[in-house]
Amino acid sequence: MPPENATAIVLRTIEFSETSLVVSLFTREHGKLGVLAKGARRLKGPFESALDLLAVCRIVFLRKSSEALDLLTEAKLLRRFRMDSRSLAGLYGGYYVAELLSELTHEYDPHPELFDLADQTLVRLAEGVAVARDVLRFELHLLRHLGLLPSLEQCVGCGCDVPAGGRVAFGHWDGGVLCPKCRPGKRQVASVRSDVLRTMVQLAESGEPSTEPMDNRTRGELRGLMNHYFAHLLGKKPKMQAYLGWDQT
Amino acid sequence: MSEATQSVSELIDQLAKLPGIGKKSAERLAYHLLHVHKSEALALADAIRDVRENVRYCKTCFNLSEKDTCELCGDPRREDRLLCVVEQPRDVMALEQTGMFRGRYHVLLGRIAPLDGVGPDQLTIDALVGRVRAGGIEEVIMATNPNVEGDGTALYISNLLADLPVRVTRLARGITTGSVLEFANKEMLSDALSGRQAF
Ligand SMILES: [Zn+2]
Ligand SMILES: [Zn+2]
Repeated sequence: MPPENATAIVLRTIEFSETSLVVSLFTREHGKLGVLAKGARRLKGPFESALDLLAVCRIVFLRKSSEALDLLTEAKLLRRFRMDSRSLAGLYGGYYVAELLSELTHEYDPHPELFDLADQTLVRLAEGVAVARDVLRFELHLLRHLGLLPSLEQCVGCGCDVPAGGRVAFGHWDGGVLCPKCRPGKRQVASVRSDVLRTMVQLAESGEPSTEPMDNRTRGELRGLMNHYFAHLLGKKPKMQAYLGWDQT
Repeated sequence: MSEATQSVSELIDQLAKLPGIGKKSAERLAYHLLHVHKSEALALADAIRDVRENVRYCKTCFNLSEKDTCELCGDPRREDRLLCVVEQPRDVMALEQTGMFRGRYHVLLGRIAPLDGVGPDQLTIDALVGRVRAGGIEEVIMATNPNVEGDGTALYISNLLADLPVRVTRLARGITTGSVLEFANKEMLSDALSGRQAF
């Protein structure tokens, strides 16, 4: 097969031998890839140390048949993840972006818009200006791109408009809000302030990221809701959740 | 041949567990060990036993040592006021080979890598902060690997040390960013040491 090109975000690197790495990449053109990078741990090589976590690079690779890992032949660094602030929140947010892409996307299942979103989110996280908000926005957009966004306004049981105001039932298991009629007997139901749901809708629909401050209470509740929802989706707690502070910008 | 086969296949299995050794290489190594002079093969076995029974981590700096305190910590000629923080014992070796650094070391035994399940608590960071708190150290040089995880680890530690009366510096970017210390050559490491900057 001829070599293929792609733009890629480095999600994870694992030492494979004294000189080689196995690298997990999220590419704009092909979705997630697992590649073998021979000689990547040498100082001078075809990869010029482009294969650092969260780096964005231009790659050339050879597709292998079924079982074998694809072979990386070239990687040129486009942008390194370099923190502008002295806070680690942005870095941990970046790791979380990588973890979610790694857990929720599939090999050779491309999502170019999701790639662009991740790319943009990593730039913003490195700046470290509105980390908590950027992470939440990424989570909601990721869910939307993958068709996993919970229903936030219509009852997942009967489709009726769930009245705003006060608290609303949110079914993790059923994937969205529940009206009072549909709620009884449902599993893993959280009670959520409708302000929180409104913020979720805004974040999920926002075309451009913003630095508009979010009040601590809403941020805390939203973080808790997302933690639970992702843990439910993945069937386990994401590793980075413990590192996502509750008191970030 | 059936009993011999069992010991041989046990050896192959053990060798194949080593990093970078596949089944084929393990077989080659096993048959090599059967062919060389018996004393040569047993010398390897002794060396492995020796290392595991005698080598431990220095209780001060966590470098590899044959005693409770390593030679570098025990050397009275080295400067106590300079402390160089590295990820692995092999980084100490790389820096020692430059002959440029005359201070003390602290080995973290890893880097903060949450995606690999390694948090700050699994490293020797508490002991490091304890050493700095005990006084006598003027400068802490962060010589973690120049990649995202190494930088993150250095930042985490420098934030912890921020309130203590010590200067925190980082190796200069002489070493290719995104790489690891152990593969840098002597000249690069010397440049990185002499050009270190305030964190
Ligand atoms: Zn309903
Ligand atoms: Zn020592």
